[in-house]
Amino acid sequence: MTEHNNGLVQNKVITALLQAYLDILDYDGMKSILKEAGMLEFKDRKGTNPNEYITLSPFKKILFAQDVLLYNSFDLLYTIGKKFSFYLFPFGKSFQESIEELTQIIKTNWDIKILEKTAESINLKIENCIFCSKIDNSCDLFIGFIVHTLEKTLSAQEKVIYEASKARKKSFQLKLKIKKNNKF
Amino acid sequence: MSDNAREFVFKLTILGDAAVGKTSLISQYVESTFQEDYKPTLGANIIRKDVNIDDTKVRLIMWDLAGQEKYNVIRSMYFQGCVGALLVYDITREKTFAAIKDKWLNDFKKYVEQEGAYILIGNKKDLEEQRMVKTEEGETLGKQIKACNFVETSAKYGENVEKAFENLVRQILRNHGEDIH
Repeated sequence: MTEHNNGLVQNKVITALLQAYLDILDYDGMKSILKEAGMLEFKDRKGTNPNEYITLSPFKKILFAQDVLLYNSFDLLYTIGKKFSFYLFPFGKSFQESIEELTQIIKTNWDIKILEKTAESINLKIENCIFCSKIDNSCDLFIGFIVHTLEKTLSAQEKVIYEASKARKKSFQLKLKIKKNNKF
Repeated sequence: MSDNAREFVFKLTILGDAAVGKTSLISQYVESTFQEDYKPTLGANIIRKDVNIDDTKVRLIMWDLAGQEKYNVIRSMYFQGCVGALLVYDITREKTFAAIKDKWLNDFKKYVEQEGAYILIGNKKDLEEQRMVKTEEGETLGKQIKACNFVETSAKYGENVEKAFENLVRQILRNHGEDIH
């Protein structure tokens, strides 16, 4: 169960990812990824219904092009992941709601489970992750995404640090710890 | 290709002031095309090219970075994982030549963690009648900054473009312990 051969994704997921590319890599960076993916027609997504499901294939092509072009660019991927969360889940949702929604708006053979949740930490298990790099199995974009999804629910005095442990290819556990920021 | 063929992925950056021809050099190298009209790069233009150097397969991920100052803050992140650079100036504009030493080489050394290789390129060789930077000045600067090579190119006509990229890749392969001439 490692390939995501079938599945559906809501338009708003792709739009949020492209917006994140645009913010961090600017217009030519976003265009480079779409060109590598052979998906240049996705440059302008005005008028698409955000809640409409389309086949997973274009999304997978974009993610693979990202793996190729952003090879070894871990910090950039993490930052893009944070922006992706910002655009996909605007404020007002709990962390749990966002996580549950994620597997609804990207429907394929993957899973995210909250194993443990306390006031100071959250332990997540991600199975057959669709965002893990097909090239080196790194997953910085999705980790940035998860971290920011939690950060948005916290006060300005709190920050999130994480620890990722790879169980096997495309599956890992992510421990998020909420720390008080001493500056305040 | 022999059974011993090895494969590498190298991330390269192309650096230099705005309008020195960075994007044109890449377009010429990757697609053998040249655009007459100048369109500034917005952010980073990222292109892949797979090449064979002797018996070694190399995937080049080339980051053509915008020369404009507004990208200075985020530029450091663009350099992560980079192993080589093409430092480009325009032979018809002295200011772009001075910026190699004053800005672009410093940026590369500041942000690239591992020891990277770089080549110095004087572009727009086809505009000889407007030349403001002599070939000897480029050669001297290349030696002074310890560039692996100095080449004058014409992105418009493709002159020396392939040679410049190949020179740089060969040096990077040598830095990775490959027996490459």
